[in-house]
Amino acid sequence: MEIKKLRKGAWITFFVAPGLLVVSVFILLPLFMSLYNSFFSWNQLISDRFVGLGNFKRLFGSYPYKDRFFNALGNNVTWFVMTMLVQNSIGLLFGYLMSRRIAGNQVFRRIFFIPVLFSIIAVGFLWGLYLKPSGLLNSFFNLINQPDLRQVWLGDERLATLSIIFVNIWRWVGFPSLVFLAAIDAVPEECLEAAYLDGAGEWKLFWRVIFPLIIPSITIITVLTVIGSLNVFEQIYTMTGLDGAPNYSTDTIGTLFYRTAFGSVDSGSPEIGIGSAIGVVIYLLTFCISLASIYVTRKREVQL
Amino acid sequence: MKLKTVVVLLVVMMLTPMLFAGGAAEAEQQVSAPVTTLEFWTWRPEDVDFYASQIAIFEARNPDIKVVQTAQKNTEYNTILAASLAGGAGPDVFQGRAYGGLATFADSGYLEPLEPLMPELKSYSATSLLGATSPTDGKIYGSPAVSQTVFMYYNKAVYQELGLSIPTTWSQLLTNFDAMEAAGYLALGNGAKDGWTLETMLGGMGPAFYGGTDFFNAVVAGETNFLDPKFIKMVEKMKSLTAYMPEMYMGIGYEDMRANFFNEIAGHLIAGSYEAAYFAAQNPDLDFGIFAVPGESAADPAYVSVYADMNFAMNAASKHKEEALTFLRFLSSKEFGKAMVTDLRMVTSVPGVDASQDPFIARVLELQKNATPYLFLVGFRYAQPTGSSLWQALAQGVMGGTVTPRQAAEEIQAGIASYYKPFQN
Amino acid sequence: MITDFRYRGASVQKKVFIIIMFMIMVFYVVLIIYPLFNMVISSFKSNKDILTTPFALPASVDLENYRTVWVDKGFSRYFLNSLIVTTAAMAFVILFGSMGAYGISRYTYRASTLIYMLFLSGIMLPLKAAIIPLFLLIRKLGLINTQLSVIMIFIAMGLPSTVFILSGFMKGIPLELEYAARIDGCSDFQIYRRVVMPMTAPAVALVTIYNAVPIWNDFFFPLVFLQSNRLKTLPVGLSTFFGQHSTNWSLLFTSLSLAIIPMLILYLFMSKYFIKGMTAGAVK
Repeated sequence: MEIKKLRKGAWITFFVAPGLLVVSVFILLPLFMSLYNSFFSWNQLISDRFVGLGNFKRLFGSYPYKDRFFNALGNNVTWFVMTMLVQNSIGLLFGYLMSRRIAGNQVFRRIFFIPVLFSIIAVGFLWGLYLKPSGLLNSFFNLINQPDLRQVWLGDERLATLSIIFVNIWRWVGFPSLVFLAAIDAVPEECLEAAYLDGAGEWKLFWRVIFPLIIPSITIITVLTVIGSLNVFEQIYTMTGLDGAPNYSTDTIGTLFYRTAFGSVDSGSPEIGIGSAIGVVIYLLTFCISLASIYVTRKREVQL
Repeated sequence: MKLKTVVVLLVVMMLTPMLFAGGAAEAEQQVSAPVTTLEFWTWRPEDVDFYASQIAIFEARNPDIKVVQTAQKNTEYNTILAASLAGGAGPDVFQGRAYGGLATFADSGYLEPLEPLMPELKSYSATSLLGATSPTDGKIYGSPAVSQTVFMYYNKAVYQELGLSIPTTWSQLLTNFDAMEAAGYLALGNGAKDGWTLETMLGGMGPAFYGGTDFFNAVVAGETNFLDPKFIKMVEKMKSLTAYMPEMYMGIGYEDMRANFFNEIAGHLIAGSYEAAYFAAQNPDLDFGIFAVPGESAADPAYVSVYADMNFAMNAASKHKEEALTFLRFLSSKEFGKAMVTDLRMVTSVPGVDASQDPFIARVLELQKNATPYLFLVGFRYAQPTGSSLWQALAQGVMGGTVTPRQAAEEIQAGIASYYKPFQN
Repeated sequence: MITDFRYRGASVQKKVFIIIMFMIMVFYVVLIIYPLFNMVISSFKSNKDILTTPFALPASVDLENYRTVWVDKGFSRYFLNSLIVTTAAMAFVILFGSMGAYGISRYTYRASTLIYMLFLSGIMLPLKAAIIPLFLLIRKLGLINTQLSVIMIFIAMGLPSTVFILSGFMKGIPLELEYAARIDGCSDFQIYRRVVMPMTAPAVALVTIYNAVPIWNDFFFPLVFLQSNRLKTLPVGLSTFFGQHSTNWSLLFTSLSLAIIPMLILYLFMSKYFIKGMTAGAVK
């Protein structure tokens, strides 16, 4: 019994150790070293003295950090909600349709992931062209004689975040599609056929048979969406800039963090202490929400 | 077993680069035995060829020094430089930012104070030295290289076609704008999508309204603040210009606004002196001139905003300080300053360089006679929240109609007062 | 298969549903192909044309830009460097990642959630945040200006999501298969290699492409750690087209068009694993 346990432990170590070592040394160690900075006050790039939670107090209690932080966090929430509702629902639909061999599915599964292959630089520039005042989208509205529908997609405080989210959905919807496709394809055919022959309708087939069996992949997508939404950075950086223009309406805690910690070339100077404090908050938020969503969805998992 | 092959292949692949690296280091060593190699960083990928040719001249004169140039991406430059310097590495000589950007590195102890090494710095203008001086200890950490000036560009051909002349009052300017709109041109090409271009706009049209250098000195000293009616009035005037800007100006970014001007769609553009070379490259036929935006009456001085933009600095931890100084001296020579004017069309800070051959630079120098410090960069970009970041965002709010000029002024005031001592009394 | 969506013989209601869905998916395909096309035509245009008439077709198709980028700007070298770095990093991401996922999902033990969260916490904040300590670390290890520095960083960056996604899929594999293999005398490693890995092939393919793209496109870490010109990667080469005040869009799009090719090939190659059949075969 002891030997068996030991063997099991040895095998687990064998499988887990190499990856864990690399991640610990090259990510967790530097990350924690940098988060540790949040307990110090900083004179430019040199740490000055230990201030305990002083930076957190300033972050949550003083103008303008407090306003910037909650404004940015609000945008992250919008990102999460929109991504879950729109991107992941469409992804589930696309994945399901492809798994059911809808006409053209062989082509679709070879194309849907292509937007992810684009460099973010290309995405930012091309969609900037499509969404600018004289861009493709507004020209299209002119063409169909609906000039009133034209909008300043990236320059209007009410629309800018939604526009960028839309571009991000364009870029990423293929990912949940393929994850759900792989998950549904892994559902044993017998289950489906049996249910089908029992006369279950489409709706019932999906919700009663397929959905419970793909909960693990829903967990994956949900957690990745949580992490992705709290880490939004490059999308903003390439489309409206590090300052979350216009007037911080597209700011996220990712851009706020980077701008605060490193400064922005066109507008700022670095404030490492508060920047690191924002980093800690992002980290804790992501960790707790991910853990919560893992637990919630794990409860509903069905073992075959 | 397939996996084995994969692993073997990988190990081979991982070893090859190290072989390369090893070989490279060896090769470099053989050449560099008697020669000192200096690392030189810039944030100007567009000027790589220029610096390469200048370095060639330098190396010919100093055969024992080799300079390796690396042009970093401008937006990542500060981060990479900070990481390298904090890590005890980094270049020997590099382009340094001015004002707050310089203070970041100087106050961290990464820059070598240059005054003891280069007594000739004393002959530089006070404006250019201010950008290279840390406000904390008052020492000079950079050899000033280039200054920038913000003003109004106008299309000479269109002015001729419509019989317009350079305005001497604000209302004349608006009359010119109206004439252009009537003739089917866009009067003013500026947009508001990129916040920093609104700081440029302030630099171009603002000083005449807020009162130029007098206001600058007063506000820096805390004798007045941003709730000053003159400042708020300036914001209102800026907002009023939206009538002459492109349709949906909130979506017009930096590239678009410049294209508006060099494609001769727009007759005016408020921008910095650094655009001249770009305009000429994009449209060699473009005939443009510049003027300072006038105030309400012809008696008001028409200011241009000026700021020190770039200097050359030395890494305090450099192992080759003597050679670095030699190179720094070269970069501060009249000859190099002259090359900056002729090849890059930049306004050199090196004193005594004759720039009269380039009519554009000559005209910039003429306008500089009525120069005023570029408000937020020169005065309020040393701590967070910087005046620049506050202005850029709030100006977007004003231009977009979500913030009133008064609210903008209040928030700027509150933001700066959160750390700026003269505002806290 | 009887569960397939077939147009023929379906009820009217179902026909309408299939047609609408099909149209939506075709529309999305158009939304994907057009920017790709836009990117490629831009590579044949001059800077001015890109900025003024971005949607017009190029006046002529000549490969001058490609020659400039590939030969004069040294992209052939950058391309090779990127291939080396990405391949090396990805191989270890997949190897260590799948092993880690196996170790977490196929055994029941108390610390599994802890290890799982340790891995996962590696993607909760971009590593860019820790660039200064990371620089110190890489310098201490003597890896500055070696490709190993970015390879190690990329492996570390790819592992968390790989472990996370694969363990989700591995959990779904019935335990009976493992017992059967054990009775046949397979060791744990052989079970991982012969039973679990083939069954997660679609997910492995997905994870490969999911991680290869950001690694292939990342310019920040190579920019910081690979100063020598002979080591630079493709995205670093790309970044040199961004000036402070002027961007060379023409050459930028040329190199972007070149840069996407290996990823397209990898994706098309991997997409064959998304097709059923293979996994089904392994189960039966």
